[in-house]
Amino acid sequence: MRALLLAATLLSATAAEAQYVSQQPGEAQFRALYKEMVETDTSVTTGSCTAAAEKLAVRFKAAGFGDADITQFSVPEFPKDGGIVVHLKGSDPKVKPMLLLGHLDVVAAKPEDWTRSPFKLIEEDGYFYGRGTFDDKAQASIWADLLIRMKAGKAPKRTIKLALTCGEETTYAFNGADWLAKNRPELIMAEFALNEGGGGRNGPDGKPQGLAVQVGEKTVQNFWLEATNPGGHSSVPRPDNAITDLTTAVVAVNRHEFPVQFTDTTRTYFSTLAKVMPDPVGPAMARLLTNPNDAEANRIVSMDPTNHSVLRTTCVTTLLEAGHAENALAQRARANVNCRMFPGTDPNALKADLEKVIGNPKVTISLKPPIRPVAKPTPMNPAIIGPMQTIAAKHFPGVPMLAMMSTGATDAIFITPIGIPVYGAPGTMIDADGNGIHGLNERISVRSLMQGRDYLSDLVAVLANPK
Amino acid sequence: MRTIIAGLLAATIAVPVSAQALRPDQQAFRGLYKELIETNTTVSAGSCTLAAERMATRLKAAGFADADVRLFNGPKDRPQDGGLVATLAGKDPKARAILLLAHIDVVEAKRADWERDPFTLIEEGGWFYGRGTSDDKAQAAIFTDTLIRLKAAGKPLKRTLKLALTCGEESPGVFNGAEWLMTEHKDWIDAEFALNEGGIGVSDDKGNPLRLSFQAGEKVYQDFRLEARNPGGHSSQPRPDNAIYQLTGGLNRLAATEFPVQFTDASRAYFTAMAAQVGGGVGAAMRALLANPADANANAIVSRDPNWHSMLRTTCVATRLDAGHANNALAQRASANINCRMFPGDSLEKVRGQIIAAVADPGLMLITDAEVSPTPPPPPLTAAIYDPAVALAKKHFPGVPLLPTMVTGATDGRFLSAGGIPTYGVPGMVADKTLNNVHGLNERISVTNLYTTRDYLFDLINAYAAK
Repeated sequence: MRALLLAATLLSATAAEAQYVSQQPGEAQFRALYKEMVETDTSVTTGSCTAAAEKLAVRFKAAGFGDADITQFSVPEFPKDGGIVVHLKGSDPKVKPMLLLGHLDVVAAKPEDWTRSPFKLIEEDGYFYGRGTFDDKAQASIWADLLIRMKAGKAPKRTIKLALTCGEETTYAFNGADWLAKNRPELIMAEFALNEGGGGRNGPDGKPQGLAVQVGEKTVQNFWLEATNPGGHSSVPRPDNAITDLTTAVVAVNRHEFPVQFTDTTRTYFSTLAKVMPDPVGPAMARLLTNPNDAEANRIVSMDPTNHSVLRTTCVTTLLEAGHAENALAQRARANVNCRMFPGTDPNALKADLEKVIGNPKVTISLKPPIRPVAKPTPMNPAIIGPMQTIAAKHFPGVPMLAMMSTGATDAIFITPIGIPVYGAPGTMIDADGNGIHGLNERISVRSLMQGRDYLSDLVAVLANPK
Repeated sequence: MRTIIAGLLAATIAVPVSAQALRPDQQAFRGLYKELIETNTTVSAGSCTLAAERMATRLKAAGFADADVRLFNGPKDRPQDGGLVATLAGKDPKARAILLLAHIDVVEAKRADWERDPFTLIEEGGWFYGRGTSDDKAQAAIFTDTLIRLKAAGKPLKRTLKLALTCGEESPGVFNGAEWLMTEHKDWIDAEFALNEGGIGVSDDKGNPLRLSFQAGEKVYQDFRLEARNPGGHSSQPRPDNAIYQLTGGLNRLAATEFPVQFTDASRAYFTAMAAQVGGGVGAAMRALLANPADANANAIVSRDPNWHSMLRTTCVATRLDAGHANNALAQRASANINCRMFPGDSLEKVRGQIIAAVADPGLMLITDAEVSPTPPPPPLTAAIYDPAVALAKKHFPGVPLLPTMVTGATDGRFLSAGGIPTYGVPGMVADKTLNNVHGLNERISVTNLYTTRDYLFDLINAYAAK
């Protein structure tokens, strides 16, 4: 995002604005729904997504959705990790449905660590405070509110499907998006999906500075590196040593640079930046786009850790554990290697790459569950990106939009493999300080939330009614 | 009392074959040894104080005055960690005393895990079985028995002999009697030199001696912590600075560093004798290394054997690793335990400096927060000490070579040597390739070796005390 910020600073010329006034009707109703979502604890430790889904189902029924249009789901092993799928029937059966995706669960929040209660929606100095106010109950509430309002109006051409699921924030519990993709694909099947992961960034003055659409993302895969040895008494060290085998492997992984790759998205991203970034970075980006093997251009562009990560698969060792006593030679030494695989990378091929890089058969490499599906690059579809830009010009005049590939991972990794390209929608702006997402005192500015709602409402209306 | 009655019954009713052949003085020794083995002195369930009281009773029965047998308890919370100091006055007040040091505590032993009761002395197939039969109740019994016999003989020697039986050698973290005596009552045990455990030779599988060892000097145990810190961050965007890479890089450089070759009197004599024994290229390399410790070729050949490698230098080996706090986060802290066996006489500061130079990264912290060991110089291997040991070995162990050694482990000798009493591990006892299961299951000692060692040490102590 650092690169984006810089680009945006160069391009934007936003004028100071007074208090933001919602363009869409029903703000009071939206606020009530949002408050109910934030105040329903959906953390994996103390909360229940099923309870949140239940409350939404009540609202959908009250808005006129029939039982057949509402699917609540959960599995017996994780009764609290449920979710909900709602269908708003389209008028033209020849036009394929679209999917709005959001997650209900939030990262755990300890009330004793927070300044305010994390599960109370508190409005203070132009901000909403509370766990999930941004991630992802802002967008989840915008989607739900929008569907309720659209039910009262004229049916869109496309069927709009809404899936609000649990487990995005954990890798060890139940993931609703994964479950739907594997068990009920017909419920969510669509021509494309809009999800979190896009948004944009506010400047230091709190005004929108740059918009982002996420098109494609890297996939996480953890590997165990393990070295074993008969060990022995530490007073007589031996040439073969489990810790040395491991640390040599770790250093080899560190030294290895995976080759530069581009997707449609990152090609567009770097092409945009190449024009605005000062010398030597901008010209180096241009050279790298022409020749991904240009080592000098690579060196310059990759100095920025974000660019470095966007350009390639990265693997970094994040955990070490070895030995059982101070005075004994280690019998086992292990490291966790956290890889962010470039879209299209097969984890087994990456494992083979790591084996080659390490080049020591005494160090075993294994894929650590969960083993994620191979992420396919998502196309830069002009039928989707075009309206995003056009509508942005109305809502965020003068604010540039960048197509991004995320180096993190969202639930898109489960949805993409069943043939649904997923786009992280722009519109919900994050502050330069990160808004306390996953941390303490999570918040969103009231303006960003309401402006995001206005933008996304117009965007969905246009995308749901293709010409 | 039960043990004594059982002992009497065993002696009168079921005298074993080998016991029938024993001389009367050996019979008496066997009783003392048996009583010591059958007094549990583990840190968890035993009492060194009780064992010391029992030895005191025997010493007094042999004619020692109350004033010459000093019993002491352990600290307030561990009164059972006591011991004794006994004095047999010599006739020359100007001749300095000799200290006989042995520890009477033993490593834990679970009856359920052993084939035989670990706290019953069992003689079987030419072996004595039981916890402490080797470590260190054999020598504790021999030293106590020696004082009893000398007292009974009524002919004072030139030098005063002091006997210290102490607790805690196996659990220095609890209470160490030898350390306590040196710190609090050095006058009780002060001597020109001390004879101690640690001179264990080599036997075949049946316990027949192949080689005797005279221990002069031991390496010093010291743990260090090598640590890297970093602000960390999200693992999706690795940065060039990384705590784990910093640590593993340093560890690899440390593993590749060989500490310089050094000799003590003992290891010099050891390699001189060993060169003759092994002959060939290895023997020649040993001679070359003795002549020039910087001879890299000779060093490479001799150091191929891990035991010789360890005897020739300080060794420092990473034994534990601990780094990171989550799969998906860049580590904020990475640390390793470095276990060093410092060459006798090398100071902690010297070794610290060597490690810092080897890891060659000022960003890595080397922390000494573990217990700091004393670093005494190696005791000199003078002719007055060594020659009688060699001469008497020829008589008691005809045809068995005697070699000086430096041990790579550690005994209570480190406290005495550091306090100005050079301490030697006397020869006699031998161990097979299982090291007589010392510290393990079914600890044992060859019956014949025990009686021969007793005769040898009696003569050796007489020889030392006469001059």
